[in-house]
Amino acid sequence: MADSLLTRRDFLVKSGILGALVAVYGAAGPGGIPAWAQTPDDLAPVIAALRTTLQELARDTYSGLVAFVVPGPDPYSVAQGVTTPKPGGIAARNVDFMVAAIDDFVPLPDRNTNAYGFALSEGLRTAPIPIPAELAGIPLMVTEQLDEAIRAYTENDQVLPLSLVFALAMNQAAVAVNPLAVSGAFLSPFARLTYDEKLQAMAMIEGANADLVATIDGALPEPETESISGILRFVGGALYEFVAFGTFSEYGVFDPATRKLTGRPVGWAMSGYQPNGPVEGWDEFKGYFQGRKQVSG
Amino acid sequence: MARDVIIIGAGGGGPVVAKELAERGLEVLLLEAGPRHGDPEKQWTHFENDANNPLTGFFRFGPADRAKPAWLRELPQNSFLWQLSGVGGTTQHYYGNNPRAAPGAFTGYDGADKSRYDTAHLFPFTYRELIPYYEWMEHTLPVQTAAMGTKEETFFRGAAGIGLPVNTSKDISRPSFRPQENAILQPGGNAGKTTDAAKLVYPQATGCTFCGYCFQGCVQPRQAPRNLKAKRSTDNSYIPMALTAGKWKAGGKPITLVTDAFATKINTANEGGKLVAKSVTWRVGATGEKVTEEAKVIVMSAGCTEDPRLWFNSHLPNQNDWVGRGYTDHFFDWVVGLMPYSTGSAKGVGSSARADFPGYGGLENVGLPPAIQAFSLTFSDQGTQGGYTNGLGATGKWDGKAGRVNGMALRELLENLDRLLNVLVITDDDVEAQNRVTLSSVFTADEHGPVAKVIFKQRQRTARTLANREYLANRAAELARAAGATKVLRIGWPPLILHVQSTMRMGLSDTNSVLDANAESRAVKRLFVADNAALPNGIGGPNPTLTSQAVATRTAEKIFQLYFGGDPWVGREAPISSIDDVVTAAVLGQSIKPKAPAVLAVTGSERAVPVAIGAAALGSAALTAVVRRAAATPVESAPAEE
Repeated sequence: MADSLLTRRDFLVKSGILGALVAVYGAAGPGGIPAWAQTPDDLAPVIAALRTTLQELARDTYSGLVAFVVPGPDPYSVAQGVTTPKPGGIAARNVDFMVAAIDDFVPLPDRNTNAYGFALSEGLRTAPIPIPAELAGIPLMVTEQLDEAIRAYTENDQVLPLSLVFALAMNQAAVAVNPLAVSGAFLSPFARLTYDEKLQAMAMIEGANADLVATIDGALPEPETESISGILRFVGGALYEFVAFGTFSEYGVFDPATRKLTGRPVGWAMSGYQPNGPVEGWDEFKGYFQGRKQVSG
Repeated sequence: MARDVIIIGAGGGGPVVAKELAERGLEVLLLEAGPRHGDPEKQWTHFENDANNPLTGFFRFGPADRAKPAWLRELPQNSFLWQLSGVGGTTQHYYGNNPRAAPGAFTGYDGADKSRYDTAHLFPFTYRELIPYYEWMEHTLPVQTAAMGTKEETFFRGAAGIGLPVNTSKDISRPSFRPQENAILQPGGNAGKTTDAAKLVYPQATGCTFCGYCFQGCVQPRQAPRNLKAKRSTDNSYIPMALTAGKWKAGGKPITLVTDAFATKINTANEGGKLVAKSVTWRVGATGEKVTEEAKVIVMSAGCTEDPRLWFNSHLPNQNDWVGRGYTDHFFDWVVGLMPYSTGSAKGVGSSARADFPGYGGLENVGLPPAIQAFSLTFSDQGTQGGYTNGLGATGKWDGKAGRVNGMALRELLENLDRLLNVLVITDDDVEAQNRVTLSSVFTADEHGPVAKVIFKQRQRTARTLANREYLANRAAELARAAGATKVLRIGWPPLILHVQSTMRMGLSDTNSVLDANAESRAVKRLFVADNAALPNGIGGPNPTLTSQAVATRTAEKIFQLYFGGDPWVGREAPISSIDDVVTAAVLGQSIKPKAPAVLAVTGSERAVPVAIGAAALGSAALTAVVRRAAATPVESAPAEE
């Protein structure tokens, strides 16, 4: 039981969940038990804390990803060590874009989403990692309570946000690349990595790294097991592409009510696209090649 | 009352069959799962996320109600399936490129390079047989020689620089380059000459205004009647004709178009020991209601991914196990050159220049607005440049290793958007059983049944496919350098499943094809396929739409002959163009006298020629000459009696 709980705590640390909870709600409390875990018979406060924390953890993870794909002057770019004074993906509101698109419009059935989320929360089999001091002091019983809360969260009719599922995978990969990423600035281990470390973490996801696959795979019901490496490969690529597409689109300044722009999109400013706003045509007609307007069979 | 024909899917193929059979006076019902954008000037914007976000955009594979999620497919590998619902299908976002196929992809081809093609999966008829149907399509859409912008001048400079000659024919016979033959109306009036929106309104401007929004849907020139929009997607060409068929052609009958109607089952009956298609069941998106209607003939035109899904969900026979197999996608790749001068990359038609390499495939230039440009640079199966290779990282005539561009390097290229030359590598890829559509066992069924799973084994493709792709990627890099590029990158795309072909393939052999040479199902009579899925192969690499539509025209004729006792018309009548004044008047609801069939004037020995259409023995040159001579002198005559 104790071994199992230690493994569970490992997962909660590696995925960033425990650290995020402590960062958001604090570790200190009577008897070293955090406030959200003071009533062992009542999971409701734990689940409430979990829900808020998981959303923030997911957003923080995407912030780390967005700065990685299109750096700017933001703190996430600074933290990765690749930065530029000119606005990048964070300024283009790409984190909102990613979370909204993935959670609201990827039509993955809830059953599948929860299966992947549950597998991530269930399946850690890799070597233990050093537990940072501020988390090591939290009693194992809290881990158990948190574990139950996660089970309740994923097994009851709650739909786990898909953005969180991807974020958990990124954070697990991040800790595999650099175990020290379990603590520090931000909520997300992925966001704490350097640019080069992020490359390594993404390589693990996109390459369907065997350890990562095994982590998820073992806990999945049939027939999901055979598909997980393919899905990781797809997701690994899609995470880059969606950030890139969203950052250079009009999303950040598009008013859905009027379907007009409220300002110049960051990506347009970066690329010099449509310098005077959208046009209906360009003075770009250069005639016909060799003057030939038609050919025959 | 049973319809004559029910067509499932109003994309690139379905509307062609619909218009042709409506013109013959048949009672046609055309079903479309997505919406119809009947007033695109109001319904569309020029914005990339609003248009092209594959989850939320107005061009997505999903229901008409954009508040609802997109429809699901399983892609168990790094890849991207760019499917669209809605009237027009993927022609809504296409670039209108309409080259003819490579003749080597057809049976009967006897060129010196015949062994260079996918000879195990050839067309079940000759290239010559298809030519009259090409000509019919080229007149109807119409297809014209593309106008140039700066980015085309750049591509031509590069193509000439690597020693390619110019092709001045519609047919492909040797390695060469040329402007695209495309379904984009050539610019007229102010079009292409100004950025002043007030001067770019029809009729002051006609044809293409060089707006650069092909991928976001063509509404140019503004205020033009729907059938005179520059880009000839089926919602601008064949659909307006099909909806008004009785008005522009005597004896025609307008089709019934039902949108928000997702076909979920084809129902059959056993008649005289044969399985026969009888009716179609569809789900009404807005209400969830299921509707079933009978028809004498049913045509599947739901696309390469949804046709097999519908087949499987209808529990139709799959005796040789080829339903859904043989998916070809031209295994695209992407080479980008950074030029020391402006290329006008985001201006004008998406692509107006190409180079053909018979037996290998081809290259074309592509100009893009920034979001899709960024997508194109990050879409890779070969890792991230400067970081990791994902086990590949190919080297060649480009700089460094192939892979996606990320971080500051991505910023650098996007900051030079106006100086990019994108070259799309279009591989002549082999039909392979392993690349396929099946049903997902992982994802739960949606409201239309079990969902499609699209499998591409990109790293285990045939040696010819992989070698063709490497060859073309190297030619693309050389072309970019010859045009002056200071930096050339290869991205190493995973499958971008966008030129889709051959999942319900026609074929010579019943051991590896689903359809016979008439595009009728071998297993279920009165059931035809008329879209890219029916193509026997990847047509040698050229963009597939024209060939798919020419085959659909031929299929419409076969349906009319086999099940409605009619006569063929291609080569016997002069086609009516979708931009003909009589069609414009019909689209505008004006009172007009419909055209009688314009029978081709053939005399003496030539009179026998149309009768011989379809005979492989007939030389195309003779037939073409007859059609061309005759088309110049159409003769009005009374409509044929039904």
